[in-house]
Order: sequence, then structure tokens, then C-alpha cells
Amino acid sequence: MIEGGGGRGDGPDKARDEFFSEAQELVEALGRDLVGLDEALRKGQVDAELVNEVFRGVHTLKGLSGLFGATRVAGLSHQLEDALDDLRLGRIDLTTSVLDLLFQAVSLYTRLLVAEKGEAPEPIAEVDALLVAFSALSSRRAGPRAPTVAEYDLPPGLFGVLTEYEEHRLRTTIQQGLGLHRIRVRFSLSTIDSALDELKASAKPHGEIITYLPTGTGVDAETIELEILLASNESVDKLRAVLTGPNLSIEEVARRTHASDRPSLPAPPPSIESRPPASPPNAPAARGVSAPDEAGARTAMAAVSPPAPARGVSLAAEMSLRSITQTVRVDIRKLDTLMTIVGELAIVKTAIARLSDRARNRAVGSREIAIELQRLNRSFERQLAQMQGGILEVRMVPLGQAFDKLARIVRQLSREHGKDVRLVATGAETEIDKLIVEELSDPLMHMIRNAIDHGIEPREERLRVGKPTVGTIALNAFQKGNQVVIEVEDDGAGMDPAAIVDAAIRRGVVSAEEAQELAVRDVFALVFMPGFTTKQVATDLSGRGVGLDVVKTNIAKLGGVVDIASDLGIGTKMTITLPITLAIINVLLVNIGGRPFAIPLASVDEAMALDEAHVRAIESREVLTVRGASLPICRLERLFGMQPRGAAKGRAFVVIAQVADRRLGLVVDDLVGQRDIVIKPLGKSLSGTRGFAGATELGDQRVALVLDVAALIEEVLATGETRFLVHGDAQESSRRRAPQRRA
Amino acid sequence: MAQVVKIRADGRAGRRTADAGKRTEYLGFGLAGETYAVPIEQVAAILKPPPITEVPRGPHTVRGIISVRGKLVTIIDLRRRFHIEEELRFVLAEAPIERKARILLTEVAGEPIGLLVDEVRQVWRLAENEIEPTQVLGNDQPPYIAGIGRPAGATEVLILLDLRPIVESP
Repeated sequence: MIEGGGGRGDGPDKARDEFFSEAQELVEALGRDLVGLDEALRKGQVDAELVNEVFRGVHTLKGLSGLFGATRVAGLSHQLEDALDDLRLGRIDLTTSVLDLLFQAVSLYTRLLVAEKGEAPEPIAEVDALLVAFSALSSRRAGPRAPTVAEYDLPPGLFGVLTEYEEHRLRTTIQQGLGLHRIRVRFSLSTIDSALDELKASAKPHGEIITYLPTGTGVDAETIELEILLASNESVDKLRAVLTGPNLSIEEVARRTHASDRPSLPAPPPSIESRPPASPPNAPAARGVSAPDEAGARTAMAAVSPPAPARGVSLAAEMSLRSITQTVRVDIRKLDTLMTIVGELAIVKTAIARLSDRARNRAVGSREIAIELQRLNRSFERQLAQMQGGILEVRMVPLGQAFDKLARIVRQLSREHGKDVRLVATGAETEIDKLIVEELSDPLMHMIRNAIDHGIEPREERLRVGKPTVGTIALNAFQKGNQVVIEVEDDGAGMDPAAIVDAAIRRGVVSAEEAQELAVRDVFALVFMPGFTTKQVATDLSGRGVGLDVVKTNIAKLGGVVDIASDLGIGTKMTITLPITLAIINVLLVNIGGRPFAIPLASVDEAMALDEAHVRAIESREVLTVRGASLPICRLERLFGMQPRGAAKGRAFVVIAQVADRRLGLVVDDLVGQRDIVIKPLGKSLSGTRGFAGATELGDQRVALVLDVAALIEEVLATGETRFLVHGDAQESSRRRAPQRRA
Repeated sequence: MAQVVKIRADGRAGRRTADAGKRTEYLGFGLAGETYAVPIEQVAAILKPPPITEVPRGPHTVRGIISVRGKLVTIIDLRRRFHIEEELRFVLAEAPIERKARILLTEVAGEPIGLLVDEVRQVWRLAENEIEPTQVLGNDQPPYIAGIGRPAGATEVLILLDLRPIVESP
């Protein structure tokens, strides 16, 4: 409709994309505000400004979704708006159970938006349950009870299309105690103006027409069907008597049964077990304009099976914290910078074109051309590097995006688990590639689940051991060189190495003999093995043996590592170390067995000539002494089983790689130099091949494999044998053992 | 039965050659003295082999990777895949790529794949009745053999290949 003049091409799709990204931002902001409200509430305060903020957000979302025909989102928003209005006017009190409902609404929004994109079925039953819970809420408000819009079974899409005034009138008339009636009437297009006026006039003495909308159904080209919403205190029979016409029907809008008939709204069930059975799959849904009998059926249905209040969204349903859209918001100044660079590149291009013209006309000598080309090349390189940097910057988003969602999860989980937990996040401003943030949300969620389920003790237990009753999960992020470190630390019970070893043996993750040899740190690493769990009984949260191994796999996919440290009785800390970006990486090109390989510089500490005189074989492993400390080394040519190509040279180099706090010296033939590369994944047929993160084109038709340093370190160091630490007692023990080996 | 339906499903070829019997075009290539063939519509391009980057510790059948127009392509050495001249491998760790060798560029399950062959021969248009089922060879045939092509009027015997099992079940 609005199309036509623009000629911008990608019209509705683009607009819809924008709708999704904007809606998502609104929903995320809601989540943040709710967490804020929750924090204030715990201190016994109600942050009125935040309530207003939430109200405004929901209102905007309602308008937005109405505009894009996302009727369920609009309907839910409408109901929410009512409740929030009551909240800010103090008609109902903000309590934890009210907040629960609001948090549920936020989760449902996300799912509704996913459904709207067509990527998942609509959570109809949950929305209905929540709507009923909200209407029950409204009816609980203090003071003389007046009915609200929420109690009427109006189509959810309706609120997207009402003007503010109409909505206001709807509210007012309902509060005055008038009943709502729905009139369906068909007009001929030629006479609609006069006929409608007539109808209005005859209706006026009996009530107020709130709005009239075309239904868009069952009409031919000559007629139009309208649905008129009439507020009146007269009975439907009376209205039927005064408003007559050939194509006119009147029905009363049903009132939802609500909790005022019951003593009060039950608080959300404290534990999973008492979850009421799921709503019937075909629970009558408020869709579009409901048919008269459907409205009746709904009332009856609601009467026989009281809908599950406050429990619409289960945790299992919230499978993923990933964003609905891949959109990145960009500061216009960043784009301006990029635009300027593009302008300069265009200048270079013009200069090249001019030069090639002159060369063709032999207006310049070859030496001049060479000099000019060199100059242009330098300029081109500089601009390109700037461009690259600029684009990388655009991809960077603050980690806070993921943290906000986690705060919601913590609240939800801790309530469901009956534990009091608070999340303290620092470093939310740390920037990281948007793709990484997306991939990070789910692993972080698993880690936090794990901390709440296994880490934080129940309240009584905490009291007994003299800890504060409120458990703390600290989420710290910071940049460290080219890596970003994220720590998830809880002040819970910590892990018992003996229990872990027992569980690992019981589950066949390690044999009893292997377990004997394990160092403390290796013991903790067992929890990342597939199928590992110490909980005897699986809970809804974790303990099903999935989770931590998934965390490890997902982090590894991003080129990162996850480490774990724990003190029994004090707490557990998991540390994720990640590269800042995935797209373009800076690598060190090396030769191994005469072939080129790339090592991501993010994980390279330093490189030096290998002095064979300082290499010792300890057990089956070679160790190099670097500045008085032991460094395990790995001869990549040997590890890769490569036949050397070309004459063996006397000199080799060692590239010291470090991921998190593990170091390994990679022995290579040659150092070639640094380069920025775009890394591409290997095909599926090579997915089982260890040690490579992908490959890159070097120009000159050659392809170089990119080493997966984290995986190599893992492979070489964490094979269950003695680990060599860079310092400390490991060094001692290696000195002690060295002679035995050679003896 | 299933075979017939499958060929009919290929609407274009079926209609065009309705009178002459349904014909499918196969690209024939040489490998260790035998002639193999794959449906030509599955071959996106024929390349002279560029330098191939070995992937250490990769599957034996994978010769390495190359980059074609910015895409990484996994090169499968069909000699190795078909266990031809295993004994030679011990003599020569890495058989050199001959002058006539070519890479047939294809895609299997979304992965760009290059098949390294000794040489490319010619295109054959085979009618249904020129294709024998694999059962003529006995029951225990490898899954990548789709049939035997016997072009009328030629002495050639074509081993027709199904690409998916070549890549997916090494």
C-alpha cells in the first residue's frame, strides 16, 4: 500500500527484518528493565520510573507489532499494558509473582517472534494461559473492583488497530460497567456511507460505538462486512430488537472466567514436580475474529479446566538464548569512516585507470609506470587495511547483550530451584564479534545452570557453613591481548575431586588405573567429557550428563578453550578464553615439512630458533628449557606424520603457543611472516581430522591449513599423562625424572 | 521398477528423446586402465590440477584441498578410493600427478568435492537398454557402482558411478 513511490526494491522483506530487529531490541530492553525491577524489589523498593519504562516499551511493541500484523504479540502486549497500567497507578502491587508473569511474558515474546518468522510453532497454549493469568491479576487489584478490558474475550489483533482514543473509550466504557457487543453487518459498497450513518444513529441511544473494522471475510466485490464494537448496558436481546437489518447479527462479547471466582491467584509452583499438566493442545485460541460458538466454547472450556496460571513457560521451552535476528546496530560515525575510505579507494581506482590509459598510449615509460604503480599499491594497501579494520569494528558488539539474557535466566532458575542467587556481572562493555556473542549465549547458559544446580548450596546448607544466604555467581569479562576472557564463578560448594573420579569411573569415562595417574586439574577436566554427571538423579536443570561437554564443544568451535578450577566448600570457577573475532585473523605463516601452514597470532606468544642442546626427552615427551623454565614441545612434522620434502635443514624454529594458561612449543622448519587471512572451514569429509581450524588461500593458487592451536595443545598436553606447567613443582619433578629416563 | 521411475523423473531428457529411448549423458574418464563414468550433469567443471594442499592425518582417500574461486574443495583421489595399486603406495608415498590428470568438480551433500582422475575421455549418451544393473557382477558390489554401461556399437565398458557413497562412506 505504501509501496510504489519509493523504488527502493527490497520493500516488505526489509521492513519485516527491521521489525524483527526492533522488536527484539524492545524485548531485550524489557528483560533488562525487569531484572532491574527485580533487584529493586529484593531491597523492598518499587522503582516507579522503571515500571513506566516497561510500560512504554510494551506500548511501543504493541504499536509496532500491530503495524506488522503480528497479532499475538500485539494481543499479549495489550494485556500486559493493562497490567502495567495498574501497576504504575498503584492499583496492584508489584510482587515477585507479578514479576514472574512479566518475565514469562518476555520469554513468550521471544518465542512469538520466532514463530512469527515461521521458524517454530506458535506457543498458543502458553500465551492463553498467560493472558488468563494477567486478567486474573487485574481483577485482584485493590479498591472497588471494576471490570477491565482484559476480562473480555476480544480478538488479540484488535488492539493493534485501535486508535489511542478508541482504546481509551473502550477502557472507560468497560470501567463504567457497560457490556460489550459485537455487531457484524454487511453493507453494499454503494450505500455504505448512508447506511453506516443510519446504523450509528439508531445505536446511539443505546450505547457507544467504540470502533468499526472491515472483517475482510466472506464478501463479494460489491459488499463489505464490518465488525462493530458497541458498548452498551442493555441486554443483547434488547439490542437485537432495536438494531435490525438484513445482514446484521449481534452477539455479546464473552467475559473470560477469571480468578476472582477463586480465592486468589496461586503463586507459581515452587518446584518442577508440581507443574500442572500441559494445557490441552487444542485449547481454544483467540485468533482473529472468533466465531460466536467458539467464544462460547472458550468460556465453557475455561470453566471446566482452570488454566494453568503463571506457569506458561517452562525452562525446557526456552531452549536457546540466541537472538532472533542477526542484525548489528552500528554507530553512523563508523559507517561514515568506512564511506570515506571507499571514497579514497575510488580515487586509487581512477588513478589506476588513468595510468593504464597512458601506458596503452605509450605516453609513459615503463620505469615511470612501475614507480606510479608502486605508489598506488601502497595507497591501496593502506586504505584496504583501514577498511578491514573498520568492518571488523562494525562487527563488534558488547558482551552485555549476552549478559542481560543471562540475568533473566539466573532469576528464573534460582526461583524454580528454590535457591537465592544473585548475578554480578562485570565487563559487560567488553567488545567481541557479533557471531561469537551469539554462539556464546548457550554455553554460558549451560555454565550458569550448572553453577545453580551443582554449585550454589540450598539456603539451610549455606547458613550451616556460615556463608551468606544469597549465593553469588560472578560473570567477569575482560580483554587480554587478542583474546577475550569470560569467567563464571560461583561461591557454592565446589567440586570434590574424589566424587568426580568416582563418577567418571562408574560411567566408564576413565578406567580406575587411568584415574590413579590424573593430576587435580585433569580431574576437573573430566566434567567436560561426554556423558559425565555426578548427580544421582537428573533434574530439569542439569545433571542429565549433557551440558558441560556441549559447552566445551561449542567453545572449541569458536577457537576457544574452557578451563575449570574449584575449591571444595569455596566455589567453582570456569574460564572461557576466546579470540576476539572470527572473520579475519592475523596469522604467522610457517613451513612444516616443506609445506606452508598458518598459526593464528592470537595464540602465539613468541617464536625463536630451536636450540636442540636445550631439548630433553622426559618420559615420552620432549621439553625445551626456555629462560630456565620447562616448555613441552611438539614436532609438528612428526605429529602430522609428514615425509619431509626438500633437503633437511639444520635449523628449526619453535613457535610458543599459548591458550589460556597452557603453553606448547610448536617446532616448525621456517618462519615465513605475518599475514591477515580469511579463514574458511574444511569440508565435511575432513571433519574428523584433528588439529586444523580451517584453511586459507595464499594467493598464487596455494592453500595453507590453519592450525587449531587450542586443539593441538589439548591433544598433546591433556592426554592424561603428566602435565608440564610452565613453572612451579612440575619443573622440579621434570628435573628429578630426567636422569632416570636417560639411564 | 524404481530405476524406471527415477529416469522418468528427469523430465527434460525424457521428453526430448522420447522416441529414441531415454538417454542420459555420462562423462567418461580413465582410471588405472578402466573407463568410469558419472552423469555429466553432476560435473560442474573439469580442472587441470593446481597444487594440492595435503591435509595431514586426513582420510587416506582425501588427496588434499584446493581453492576454486574462493571456495575450499576437498580432493578425493579415486585411485585411492577404489583401492587401486595399494602396493605401489609403499614404493611411492605420494604418487605424482600425471600431465593428463584432471579434477572433476562436483558437489556432494553441499560439500564441494573434486575427483582426481587419470584422464578425461569422452561423453557418452546412454539409453536405458545400454545400462546393465550392477547385479550382473554378482551381489557383493561396492555401493558406489551404479551400473555397467555398454554403449551400442562400441567395445567400451563403462563403470557407472554413484558419487554420494564415494564421498560419504569411505
